[in-house]
Amino acid sequence: MTRMTRFRWGMLAPVLAITGVAVGFPLGYAFYLSLTDYRLTSRGAPDVVGLENYFFVLTDPRMWNAFSNTATYVIIAVALQTLLGLAIALALQKQQWARDLTRAMLLAPMFITPIAVGLTFRFLLNDQLGALPAMLRSLGIDYDFFGPGNALFTLALMDVWQWTPFMVLLLLAGLESVPRQPLEAAKVDGASAWYAFRRVVLPLLTPVLTVAVLLRSLDALKVFEYVYATTRGGPGTETETIQYFTYQTGIQFFRLGEASAVAFVLLAIVLTLIVLLFRRLQRSAAR
Amino acid sequence: MTRRVSPWGIARTLLLWAAAVTVAFPIIWVALASFKSPAQLNDPGLFLFSPNLDNWARVFEAGILDAAGRSAFVAAVTVSISVVAGSMGAYAISAYKAGGSATRFGILAAQVLPPAVLVFPFLTMAYALRIDNTYVPIIFAHLSFVLPVITWFLIGFFDAVPRSLEEQARVDGFSRFAAFRLVVIPQVLPGIGAAAIFGFTLSWNDMFYGLILAPTRETILPVAIAAFNTFRGVELGAMSAAIIIAVVPVVIASFFIQRRLVQGISGGAVKF
Repeated sequence: MTRMTRFRWGMLAPVLAITGVAVGFPLGYAFYLSLTDYRLTSRGAPDVVGLENYFFVLTDPRMWNAFSNTATYVIIAVALQTLLGLAIALALQKQQWARDLTRAMLLAPMFITPIAVGLTFRFLLNDQLGALPAMLRSLGIDYDFFGPGNALFTLALMDVWQWTPFMVLLLLAGLESVPRQPLEAAKVDGASAWYAFRRVVLPLLTPVLTVAVLLRSLDALKVFEYVYATTRGGPGTETETIQYFTYQTGIQFFRLGEASAVAFVLLAIVLTLIVLLFRRLQRSAAR
Repeated sequence: MTRRVSPWGIARTLLLWAAAVTVAFPIIWVALASFKSPAQLNDPGLFLFSPNLDNWARVFEAGILDAAGRSAFVAAVTVSISVVAGSMGAYAISAYKAGGSATRFGILAAQVLPPAVLVFPFLTMAYALRIDNTYVPIIFAHLSFVLPVITWFLIGFFDAVPRSLEEQARVDGFSRFAAFRLVVIPQVLPGIGAAAIFGFTLSWNDMFYGLILAPTRETILPVAIAAFNTFRGVELGAMSAAIIIAVVPVVIASFFIQRRLVQGISGGAVKF
């Protein structure tokens, strides 16, 4: 038994060691930074200032603006992705003709570097040079994709373009592991396709759907490249997301202490939401 | 074979065609733009024109292939470490329930960490250890998100391997580790390949860490592409060519791994 325990931990050791160096240590150090007045420009040891950074960022309207922008972005993007992803996954599951080619093509965007996606859409949607505004103009529609009131929505649509494939991938995998029997039983009983989907497939798909929405939301929270490539936070601060705000505070204004504090406020909020979500899931699973 | 065409079938086909056009159009349009002259770039509706290779020449002169090479190097090192450590760890978690269900949740929870939390410690540590002009910080930064994802996928693949296989090997006199390396690993090799390619694209695609941690004079590919956006205004033609260089390899890779990824995920990677 001890040899098995030793083997088990031996096998786990490399992952634990690397995670310790690459995640655990930076996380602890970032927390320390958030308690200091560390600036990239100043020499000498930073002073510990306690929770001062936290008080500062928590009362900073720009941070709350960045939080609400990010929340809006995540909700729009993930909601659209889930609906589209589910529809496309259902369609792809039945698709027989050129199966691998269709799947590979529809999954392709998620493999493209986000900065390339950002720059592509910046160009494609540009008021003067872009193909899409030109097409819309020929239809008599004048729409400024990066104008006030529209820019955040445009960024969310870019997220939809790139990451709906991720939803499709997970849901397709989920659909493929849905057992055939209950579905056939429903058909024998004369259930309509819609009824069978809603009452048989969807409940079986819920675990995958939950994980997919969770993973996508966590990833969408980190949106940086699209903002960096297109709006740089503008017009005004309409598209300033958390990740971009942190980058600006830390790297452009050299205020690492404050930037780390923002990051930990974000972490606290996200972890709280996740714990609440899991509580609810466990409760509904127990029912 | 004649089949009655149902309205659902038509809707399905239409949806897939619409999705395909939506995916392909931006990429094709940028590919076309990479062959346009500056004057032609001002005409967004131009689809037929005599192509020229000036943009491509500019991009190659700017050393985009070197940047791609550096990105590939960083990704290859990150993935090699992740696959070795990840497959061992994933097997311990799958077959020996190491760490219990907390481990699976912990791996998922690692996705919560915003890169903005981790990047500053990497930066200050890199300065302190005087390795700020090397690839070491960026490789560690990439390990922080590639290793958990690869491990997570591999747990799903190992779950699908019957336990009797290892037990048989143990009866035949293999040590536990030899059974793992010589009997179990070959069973999941296709899955490891898919996870490795997926991890490679994750590292290849990251810009945030690259922007802050990579050596300034020797940037990685995403940062090099972004540079066409800021340096002396926007060089649209050259930028388009650079985008296509970043897109083509991963789209080809995605063709080969998509089926394995679907299998791996449905094999259990989405369970807790």
